[in-house]
Amino acid sequence: MATAVVARPVARPQARARDEEVLVWPDLVFVEFISAMVFTIALFILAVLVNAPLLDQANADVTPNPSKAPWYLLNLQELLLHMNPAMAGVIIPTIWLGILAAFPYFDRENEGQGVWFGTEGAVKITVVAGAVGIVGTVALILWDSGKLAFFLNEYLGISGGDTFRFLESVRNIQSQLPWPEWSKEITYLPFNLKILDSDARGGPTEFQNLDFPGWLVEQGIPIVAMVGLSSIMIYTLWKMGWVLTRRDALLALFSGFIGAYAILTVTGTAFRGQGQELVWPWELKVSEGIPGQE
Amino acid sequence: MAVETPTKPTLADKIYDKMFHNYVWKSIFRTGYPNTPRNQMLVVATNVFLHLHPTRIHRTHVKITHTYCLGGLSFFMFLGLTVTGIMLMFYYVPSVDRAYLDIKNIQTNVQFGQLMRNMHRWMAHAMVILVFLHMMRVFYTGAYKPPREFNWVVGVILLVLTFLLSFTGYLLPWDQLAFWAITVGSEIAGSAPILGPKSRFWLLGGLQVGPDALIRFYTLHVIGLPLLAAIFMAVHFWRIRRDGGLARPL
Repeated sequence: MATAVVARPVARPQARARDEEVLVWPDLVFVEFISAMVFTIALFILAVLVNAPLLDQANADVTPNPSKAPWYLLNLQELLLHMNPAMAGVIIPTIWLGILAAFPYFDRENEGQGVWFGTEGAVKITVVAGAVGIVGTVALILWDSGKLAFFLNEYLGISGGDTFRFLESVRNIQSQLPWPEWSKEITYLPFNLKILDSDARGGPTEFQNLDFPGWLVEQGIPIVAMVGLSSIMIYTLWKMGWVLTRRDALLALFSGFIGAYAILTVTGTAFRGQGQELVWPWELKVSEGIPGQE
Repeated sequence: MAVETPTKPTLADKIYDKMFHNYVWKSIFRTGYPNTPRNQMLVVATNVFLHLHPTRIHRTHVKITHTYCLGGLSFFMFLGLTVTGIMLMFYYVPSVDRAYLDIKNIQTNVQFGQLMRNMHRWMAHAMVILVFLHMMRVFYTGAYKPPREFNWVVGVILLVLTFLLSFTGYLLPWDQLAFWAITVGSEIAGSAPILGPKSRFWLLGGLQVGPDALIRFYTLHVIGLPLLAAIFMAVHFWRIRRDGGLARPL
């Protein structure tokens, strides 16, 4: 029995345009050599001028305040301040890396490759989505730290009084609203779902009843903020006629991520002082944690 | 008509001939000095280090603004970190008693020790930044598109490995900065649902950052992760060639 063989479009390396080619030696090797030399010399000068940091010997009894992860993890540490630790520290980065790796399987078109911003409208999508990521993340951080309400009150004289106190930060929604007792201990969930209590300190993981206000501020609102806002952004750009292809959607998503990632890293690095409070970079001081020496 | 008489070879010609056409040179490089197109292609094709490249390349790809050399520089940082790292390994013992003192010793008693440590640290930061920028370059030039889908995935794995390499190295000086950064970092890993506490225990070799964590991080940093990264880099580079070099417009 003959089986129908369906010819699928399989991507193959492009045919070479020999007349457009130059010799690797010297043209490419020269560029590589120069860039390697520039970096070697620049890093050598940096290494002569600036010493690698070395503090006192490690001591488990003396905790510096603030304690910070290496700078490239400070985006996650910043995220941790705003939501459930398991979500911020592990689930979101894992899912995001999965999404990142899946990019080429979502956008399979060949169009626009091999040149910077090769598709129509790529630059404006990148700029707008990057700006949305930056502004959105700054706004969310300021809201959640109560600074937004503080600025409104301090400089514009706008105050919601006690009625709107719950809007001052995300966690105020949990603490400042008169949630009925039953909503803090929901025992029945549809499909017999259970809520896992994750303990950041490595303690046992336990099943617990659902604390709805707690769930809302630790997981619900952060999920809506991240998934919802990026979806709204892409949807809006689509309605505006900017996002036309999957490539455009990825451009918006990736650029929004770059903006948010940059803001999270910078905030975690330069704007978080003692007790992870928001401070200006020039006010940032580290207490060594030695008693009597603040 | 005047017949061109061959000029007498100058002294420079004689030296050139002696240097590049002798028995020993030819035994090493096979080709003569790469000053003709034939020799220039042969030198790339017959040299184990240069043969990562094709012999010819599309002219738009040697423009610096096309790639900013970010991928190549990431690899160059990896090589530089290997060299400076090996030098630091001569003096460093990953035990809680010695680690911190060894770093102090490298900085004060070892000739160029401080310089080697500084280079290692700044190169490590540079590598993290360069790898990230390389990812952005590949994305914005659409270079992940077919047939390079899987090489993008390999690149994402290499990005994670770069972070892990840097993270494991961060503990080794065994100062307050290192200790608390790794404590915070491993708590982030430990917060994962179900698997978190176990994976944190596995990473640290205990419940908190201590001697077992130090030896684990050291072993991963100097052999485990570099080996893994080298394997993925080999795949990464190989596939660039197999997929027809750098992406270019259809």
